[in-house]
Amino acid sequence: MKTLSRLGLLSAAVAMGALAGLPALAEDSVNVTNLSYRTGPFAATGTPVMNGQRDYMLMLNERDGGVNGVKIVYDECETGYNTEKGAECYEKTKGSSIVTQPWSTGITLQVLPKSNVDKIPILAPGYGFSPMAEGKTFTWAFNPPTTYWDGASMILQNIADGNLDSLKGKKIVLLHLDAPFGKEPIPLMQAYAEKHGFTLLPIPVGLKEMQNQSAQWLQIRRERPDFVVMWGWGAMNAGALTEAAKTKFPMDKFVGIWWSGSDADLKTVGDAGKGYRSISWSFPVSDSKVMQDIKTHVIDKGKSLSAPGEFDYVFYQRGVVISMFAVEAIKAAQAHFDTKVVTPEQLRWGFENLKLDDAYLAEIGFTGMVPPFSTSCANHAGHSGGWMLQWDGAKFVKSSDLLKADEAMIEPLAIAEAKKYAEANAPWPTNEECKM
Amino acid sequence: MLYRTAGQFKTSYVADHALFPVRQDAWLLAFILLLAFVVFPMTASEFAFRALLIPVLIYALAALGLNILTGYAGQLSLGTAAFMGVGAYACYKMTTVFPGMNLLLAIGLSGFFSAAVGVAFGLPSLRIKGFYLAIATLAAQFFLVWLFEKWAWLYNYNASGAIQVTNIQMFGITVAGPQANAIVQYYFVLGVVCLVTFFAINITRGRIGRMWKAVRDMDIAAELVGINLMKAKLSAFAVSSYIVGIAGALFVFLWRGAAEPVLFDIPLSFRVLFIAIIGGLGSILGNYLGAILIVALPVIISTLPAALGLPIPSAMVEHLNTMIIGALIIAFLIIEPHGLARFWAIIREKLIMWPFPH
Repeated sequence: MKTLSRLGLLSAAVAMGALAGLPALAEDSVNVTNLSYRTGPFAATGTPVMNGQRDYMLMLNERDGGVNGVKIVYDECETGYNTEKGAECYEKTKGSSIVTQPWSTGITLQVLPKSNVDKIPILAPGYGFSPMAEGKTFTWAFNPPTTYWDGASMILQNIADGNLDSLKGKKIVLLHLDAPFGKEPIPLMQAYAEKHGFTLLPIPVGLKEMQNQSAQWLQIRRERPDFVVMWGWGAMNAGALTEAAKTKFPMDKFVGIWWSGSDADLKTVGDAGKGYRSISWSFPVSDSKVMQDIKTHVIDKGKSLSAPGEFDYVFYQRGVVISMFAVEAIKAAQAHFDTKVVTPEQLRWGFENLKLDDAYLAEIGFTGMVPPFSTSCANHAGHSGGWMLQWDGAKFVKSSDLLKADEAMIEPLAIAEAKKYAEANAPWPTNEECKM
Repeated sequence: MLYRTAGQFKTSYVADHALFPVRQDAWLLAFILLLAFVVFPMTASEFAFRALLIPVLIYALAALGLNILTGYAGQLSLGTAAFMGVGAYACYKMTTVFPGMNLLLAIGLSGFFSAAVGVAFGLPSLRIKGFYLAIATLAAQFFLVWLFEKWAWLYNYNASGAIQVTNIQMFGITVAGPQANAIVQYYFVLGVVCLVTFFAINITRGRIGRMWKAVRDMDIAAELVGINLMKAKLSAFAVSSYIVGIAGALFVFLWRGAAEPVLFDIPLSFRVLFIAIIGGLGSILGNYLGAILIVALPVIISTLPAALGLPIPSAMVEHLNTMIIGALIIAFLIIEPHGLARFWAIIREKLIMWPFPH
């Protein structure tokens, strides 16, 4: 009996200690959880991005002790790109994390309607549902610096050399993953096809066919398109590139979205992939200040999970840029609300007021890594534009100046789609305070 | 000791055939129902509702549907996920075409759609059996998922090709959609699952259930004693698909909130089949035990390191999780090839004897 009561006392003391210990920890830290996927069929392309995201946060903790004295707790919850696991992770982390990074269009679609209820901002940089850029409707979702529709518009401008009417009578194949992500550009590209008189032929690649696309490429050979635009991810990119190389499809007629521009995928085809282009809103600058700081504070100290050589990859450095968006939003919220530990509501304001101009990007050491942009309560993407990158056989190089999407064409479509979404999910609260 | 049957005398045939021949079974069930209806709702967190309780109930219901077809009537099916999809899409169409419709009614009706589809794909079972029938149901799996992708009317021509559940109210309470409360959804699912389980227990113990078991054990003999094979097999397909369809509608409306066609692909079919096999074919209880092992245990394991304060990266936890669950499945199947339900039956028998085995 005596030992029992002693045990009880002991466990009570431990519990009290744990309870007392927690708030002290939470006082000067913010939790930024990432719904990562280092396992599953998309792990090969996901891992470098996750590594970049993680290393930037670690570097800030090492170099500056966090953001303005507040330590960043970077946690990961593994989803394996599985929507079910993603929803589970969301439920698990929504109490602690101040931002949700869903990392798949499927998970984004699940989490998006809940963001209004749980009041946690969603950060989906360069992915998710394109109309999320309409901040008045999607109060809690952010997809900076640019949307898939912007990407489609930039790709078309680039392959038409700036004059879309020159595409008249041509045939463009859209080789896309048969999932919400891959279907995303179809409405906009169809609108363009009608306006400028080219033929758009979407060819879907099912999740099971990603590695073996011989049927799709046989069709492409038969159709003899002028261009192939790819909306692929994971194993699909490598599959398409090897098929294209095998069927001797001219690589300079083959263009991908930013998720189809992974160094690792192109390394597998090497020289045969020379001339392949991919639009991108980030560019690796390995000698920039921030990358050098990551090298000294994280990689050289052996704290990074990244593989050797991954440091120079487009995807690794894109992960760094993505973490920078979150950190800048935290900084903006700290300054505006004059507080140290920001809440999810305050962070939402921060995401709405990102001001990343050239001077500021230079100050934080990101020169040339991401185009300058700013967000507002009506514009949650920023529409920064992007660069066309080209594979030279060993690495990606910039092959264009900064391209800007044709917002005059996209905006009415985005507003209409956002309205449709809000109506389908009524009662959907919109941001009435935003007067822009 | 706890399960001692001394003093429980059966003096009539009715008592001998009762659902609970041993009084302790009834108490155990009452205790579990008390847990499910009173204790869990009062103690569970939102995470527990959304990641543990609701999915376990829904998966158990889907496995129950499959178990009626495979475990009771002996017709192997690999198309469970597709039939779940039929239920989900039927429910989606009904709630969007008639926005004010009662959700309970919509879910109940959506089961009839999947029952009809199930019967149609069950027709080959009249001529073929075993693995060959499995291939025929596999065709249903591929065809229906293809249909969910290509037939844009089914998802109301959404650009993303996915269906999304809107806020649906019943008697002034939001039961489905992003604004719904987890506890409300839990009670909704629990109510439906209890009701269906009650019917399933009774149907499998009665005339129809015995007809199915006769067909399962030897269909030629069953035919010779006067059982109409067509009626028996197709009724099994209908009842099974009805339950699976309801499970599919609950799956999307009360839990996931959104669904893409690929969700209803073959991995889901296998998952439900594993639950039924590991739980125990030809049992009702087994579906719940199997669902706890396959659905709930991985979630519990993945939260353990964080709860214990072990610094294991989450990707590593996922790998460990897969290994642990895999090892457990193999271990259980070696210890008791007839599933967890049989395992429990043996434990129960031993408990009745204990502490004086003869």
